[in-house]
Amino acid sequence: MALKPVTSPDIEAPTIRLTIDGQQVEAKQGVSLYDVISQTGKIIPAMCYHYTFDPFGSCGMCLVMVEGKKAPVRSCTAKAEAGMQVRCEGEDLFLARKKAVEKHLTIHPLDCPVCDADGHCELQDMAFQHGVTNLVNAKPKGLPEDRRSLVLDFNMNRCILCGECINICKDVQMVDALQFFKKEGTTHVVAKGDKGLVCEFCGDCLAVCPVGAITNKYSKYVYKPWQLKKTTSTCAYCADGCQMSIETSGKDVQRVTSPLSWKNKWGDRAETAEGHGGLCVRGRFGFQYIDSKERLGMPLVRTDEGFAPRSWFEAMDTVVGRLKAIKAQHGPNAIAGLITARCTNEELYLFQKLMRAAIGTNQVDSSARYGHLNFTRALQHAAGVGRMMNGYEEITKANVLLLIGTDITETNPVASLRVKEAIRVYGAQAIVATSRLTNIAKLASHPLPITAGSERWFIQALVKAAVEEDLVDEAATTAAPEAFGALKAAVAGLSWEVLTARTGTSREAVVEAVRLYAEAPKAVILCAEGVTRQVDGYAGVLNLVDLAWVTGKLTRPGCGVNALPEEANEQGAVDMGVASELLPGQALYADEDARAKFATAWRCSLPSPDPGATLMEILKRCREGRIKALYLVGENPLATLPASTGVREALEKVELLLCQDPFLTETGQLAHVVLPATTFAEKDGTFTNLEGKVNRVRPALEPYEDARPDWEIFAALGTVLGHPMEYEAAQDVQREIMKLLPGYYNLGEPRPVTARPEGYLRDDYVREVAARYAAGAEADQAARPFALTIGQVLYHSGKLSTRAPGLLQLYPSKGRLQMNPEDLAQLQLGPQDAVRVTSAQGAVELRTEPNHDLARGTCFFPEHFNEPPIKDLAECVVDPTTSVPAFKFIRVAIEKL
Amino acid sequence: MPQPLEDQRTTVYKVDPEHPANPTLPTLRTEEMMLNMGPQHPSTHGVLKVVLALEGERIVKATPVMGFLHRGVEKLAEDGTYHQFIPHTDRLDYVCAMYNNFAYCRAVEKLLDLKVPPRAEYLRTIVAEVQRIIGHLFWLGTQALDIGAMTVFFYTFRDREILLDFFDELCGARLTTSWYRIGGVERDFTPDLVEKLRRFCDYFPPKLEEYVTFLNTNRIWLSRTKGVAVISAEDAVNFGLSGPTLRGSGVDYDLRKFEPYAAYGDCEWSVPVGKNGDTYDRYWVRVEEMRQSRNMVKQLLGKIPDGPVMADVPSVTLPPKDKVFNDLASMIQQFKLFSQGFQAPKGEIYCGTEAAKGELGFYIVSDGGGKPYRLKIRAPSFIHMGAFDFMARGYMIADIVTIFGTYDIVMGECDR
Amino acid sequence: MTEKTEEKSLLREVWDALSFSEIRMAMRVALKHMFVKPVTFQYPREKRTIPDAHRGALGLLRYDDGTERCVGCDLCEAACPSRCIKVVSAENPDVPLSRYATEFYIDITKCVFCGYCVEACPVNALAMTKMYEYSTADKRQLIFDKQRLYEIGEKHIEDAKRYLYAHNQEKNDTESLQYRYKFPHQVAGLTPPQDS
Repeated sequence: MALKPVTSPDIEAPTIRLTIDGQQVEAKQGVSLYDVISQTGKIIPAMCYHYTFDPFGSCGMCLVMVEGKKAPVRSCTAKAEAGMQVRCEGEDLFLARKKAVEKHLTIHPLDCPVCDADGHCELQDMAFQHGVTNLVNAKPKGLPEDRRSLVLDFNMNRCILCGECINICKDVQMVDALQFFKKEGTTHVVAKGDKGLVCEFCGDCLAVCPVGAITNKYSKYVYKPWQLKKTTSTCAYCADGCQMSIETSGKDVQRVTSPLSWKNKWGDRAETAEGHGGLCVRGRFGFQYIDSKERLGMPLVRTDEGFAPRSWFEAMDTVVGRLKAIKAQHGPNAIAGLITARCTNEELYLFQKLMRAAIGTNQVDSSARYGHLNFTRALQHAAGVGRMMNGYEEITKANVLLLIGTDITETNPVASLRVKEAIRVYGAQAIVATSRLTNIAKLASHPLPITAGSERWFIQALVKAAVEEDLVDEAATTAAPEAFGALKAAVAGLSWEVLTARTGTSREAVVEAVRLYAEAPKAVILCAEGVTRQVDGYAGVLNLVDLAWVTGKLTRPGCGVNALPEEANEQGAVDMGVASELLPGQALYADEDARAKFATAWRCSLPSPDPGATLMEILKRCREGRIKALYLVGENPLATLPASTGVREALEKVELLLCQDPFLTETGQLAHVVLPATTFAEKDGTFTNLEGKVNRVRPALEPYEDARPDWEIFAALGTVLGHPMEYEAAQDVQREIMKLLPGYYNLGEPRPVTARPEGYLRDDYVREVAARYAAGAEADQAARPFALTIGQVLYHSGKLSTRAPGLLQLYPSKGRLQMNPEDLAQLQLGPQDAVRVTSAQGAVELRTEPNHDLARGTCFFPEHFNEPPIKDLAECVVDPTTSVPAFKFIRVAIEKL
Repeated sequence: MPQPLEDQRTTVYKVDPEHPANPTLPTLRTEEMMLNMGPQHPSTHGVLKVVLALEGERIVKATPVMGFLHRGVEKLAEDGTYHQFIPHTDRLDYVCAMYNNFAYCRAVEKLLDLKVPPRAEYLRTIVAEVQRIIGHLFWLGTQALDIGAMTVFFYTFRDREILLDFFDELCGARLTTSWYRIGGVERDFTPDLVEKLRRFCDYFPPKLEEYVTFLNTNRIWLSRTKGVAVISAEDAVNFGLSGPTLRGSGVDYDLRKFEPYAAYGDCEWSVPVGKNGDTYDRYWVRVEEMRQSRNMVKQLLGKIPDGPVMADVPSVTLPPKDKVFNDLASMIQQFKLFSQGFQAPKGEIYCGTEAAKGELGFYIVSDGGGKPYRLKIRAPSFIHMGAFDFMARGYMIADIVTIFGTYDIVMGECDR
Repeated sequence: MTEKTEEKSLLREVWDALSFSEIRMAMRVALKHMFVKPVTFQYPREKRTIPDAHRGALGLLRYDDGTERCVGCDLCEAACPSRCIKVVSAENPDVPLSRYATEFYIDITKCVFCGYCVEACPVNALAMTKMYEYSTADKRQLIFDKQRLYEIGEKHIEDAKRYLYAHNQEKNDTESLQYRYKFPHQVAGLTPPQDS
């Protein structure tokens, strides 16, 4: 990358002056001439240029005349120099560009009629713009299509060898899955090694391809751009908040496109710090569930002969009748509700309002309870911040990134590009502490393998090293001497032997990591499921806060502690107060004043606080018969929670199990009434992404058959249950939220947050700190030597994505346990051999497959599939503070069958 | 509490002041009568509704009510490419579709500064004049029918049929022609078509004289057209009238003569002008225009130059079809033009064309994209409706039929 | 104004009135026309000759060897000013790199018979025919689907070809070979569809 310093926005270069079409322009020395010209607003055609990567210079279109040079020069690869006299327009340049287009056209096949890119093709545009009419000696290449890869087909007849796909894959995605390859006299773009693609299938190559050389198998030949209606919305898979265009014709979703495309090729490289506009495999290729035939089209009511479809009127009549009877007989606390964090903010708000104001119970919870609440509550408690402290830009521009317990490229692929850009463009040091060799660990400067499940010990070791090596920040610690003293005492109690034994690292490695972290001016901590979903996740986050605090990184701009939420709107679920201990705006439910404010706004009296009524407690109360009716919105606890939690008994025990979901789920099968809800693509509303940015969700389709958006169902139920909720559109709900939480929407921009740990350090810190540095007893590992992680894979998100056939094709339910090949060899297992996996909760038999990225002594199973029901091997440990259930990490014994 | 009953008598009797001694003799109160005419009246030529205020049989006020045929044509134009709007123009003045095509194409060509090949200009002129004959024949037949002379209607329609069949052979449709294209015309004349027109030119004059004789010797026709709906030259200009309606009042204004476009400058013809500004003079102007048109067609047919019938501007006009199959550049041109249209330069233009009914103008605002940003149609029928009240006042109710007809109004273009 | 009806003398007017001259003149015209051949048709029994260029109902065409000409490019849909065409396309499983229309609808109730779709078609798969008698009491039958359109095309293949010739979409039979879209076949090494 010869031009690297040019495009690295942080490197200072002297400012120079040059003349473009008689206009004086200032630029940084060494910047691509093309960038300088496009800054002035002039657009020179260029087919191989895209601002997200360095100029490549293959298309020969961006010709300009530079004084002193006889022939036109390619402006993209030329560097701006002081005193240059540049001319961008003129008949000679037009003809030279026309010649360049003709060169591409003569070897291009005559297949506009079949080509998917037709109407959205830069070559067409260029040919038309330059008035090419007659081609002499046209010689199409006549190559067969390369259909070896999943999802993408490569048609080299159409390829103009611009290299945009290769460049974006290499530079932005850092996957480097594509290459030029010479075969039988012609150059092809092929997957590395001339085989089928092995990559993350983000589809950015498809988005930037200016012609139809790369096509999408899932929508191949089924559309032309003029047939499609484009709706800009927000992806509902993970919390990255990617903007996407859902392109529909009639009732069908034909494809999903990203803001990243060859059409948006002009921009400032520095802009990518906030995102490059691309999507990941889930967003781009996981759209097929939206118009799936498996969707629920009508309400279902359980009769003696099973489910019977009913009209909304009858179904609602049944539901309301039963709910009213239960409330009258057993009181409002016989009703509880759970909602998924894939609903919009408006729906989440309305749901908790429905439960609290219309029904009068505080037994309400969301799927943020599975982990994200550990983070928000810990950070709220310690620093007064209820979400991630850093946005994308701060992650990109950090000097050191500390990633603990996150497989960020799998769970949050687009957020991971910020880490990649930090590494590649801004030269950040990345410390990645994980038990498996994740993709981000392969790119990191400091990959730090640790024993599976030891993330918390590792964090404690980091804190201990920071304190002991005197890497502490003077200002931060002197401001709270008692707290620092307490921390010192607490870490002194930890022994390095125990910590290194448990984490599997050396003291030196830990010290090196913490030294890097502490000495960096801008250092960001990113953690995820490896911390928040583990046992004592709440304490783990507080340990991270301690680390940031003592090194002075808690309050410094550009630094912070972050945990990546999993589902699209987990942050929104917390912000909307869908938890028994919270009110909208993350006000504590126990707070009298806050409660009074909402009681006045909703014109009702709110139920008394019941902070313990969280997910697990609700299920327990169901089992005990105290809860008679359970309202599940998009939640599927039966497929999520291990059997040992007694979830099945709980669901079978209730008198009314009301499910509301786009699909008939496992839990739905047990329900008494199932209401058909819509997917995000049919809804209006907003999602709050991990940065705290409120993104708009727009309806791309009419609701499927009789399905209704969730907010409409809530509003109808609330009204019939005696608490009028007269909203005509999601915007009416939004207006109410705006009144109650001023500034929440904030025009789609995240509000900057500042950590205020002073109060916590003064009041509670000394009392609490010792407990979270107590080295608990380590379970005996001899009997169950393997650590089984049930986790997320790139191609799926929760259970929803398993309804998308395209994603299933990429990652089907294989029912295989992934293990380190050496472990397999040691157990003398062949590829087809079955094993018995035994935990304290039982045993499951299944086959294995090798995975080189896994460390020895660990194994992995994707959480999206319950075939075989490996989740039932887990025992569920509930966090004492936040009641978050931890069940993704199991110690097992494996024996060959 | 019981309410007193209202006086429900329809006729109010009052004491006649001239016969106060005889209170038993009632006098009828005189009042204006409102009469709704149309929109389903056979003589209103489409769905025009006129609210008439009558004093006895005299028209005191006549208010035309329009919009029954409103289809949002101007809005439709903003939704498609420039090319796609041509079939929509067929449905403006559906009696003279060719003229609408012509006026629209001329406007777009003016916007693009596009030169049409000479052969196409000749063909355009010939067909436009043929269309004028069709339009005037249609008017003559229906106007005579409305007034009570039925025979003429059959004869003029018979001759109109000949020309409509000519259109059918030329472009494939009799009324909704869409033959004109931006940059030329869709299809060249075949020798057979030229021969057919020649024959018509010989056939037509005696027939026209025959019809004129029928009407000029018809006392009813004369008495019902002469002195009806008179408008002075000054008033006609002030009301913005155009075409035969204006020329009937003696104003020598014809766009074909004043800014000769297409091939109008290449043939001998004169602008017939009336004197009295009444319905009869407008009838006479139209008849004379038919004679002139026939002369023009005959002259032009003799000197059609050779050459292409479409301009060859790759960014606007379609490539020849055989090249589309074999040449990628032409195929791309075909796809781009049909799916996205050509990019018209930014700006706004107005272009008026002398159609059979008057000046048909298109006002186009372009934002530089492939679709018009705004398109306004200056339809003569609509402008003429402005003078309706002025021209109808004071005449008898029976004359209203004549007054409708005197404008040669077509609601398709009036309501748009 | 150059023409004026002559003022008649009083005597002349009296004579005309007494001799019913106007009636005589009208009768003369009427009598003359008794011996003129009528210009009207007795429609269901007699039909007018339709010119080749006539823009009648649309039909889809096949090559002479029976392969469908349509490649499902949807350009007709883009060209249609009244948005009456809907094409659903898919990958053709038989020929690599090729596409075909799985469904093709023309809502003939919306069609304005402008012929733009024929002009747009890059493979000359659409043509207008001389068919005009398809009125029905059931409006649903006026949405022509792919099968119906191919039936029309087959039944009126001669008219359709003549339409294409008349509108310069195709030249006559001998030259028509170069009016063939050959692309995917060329690549796959297959013989392109032939006309006999």
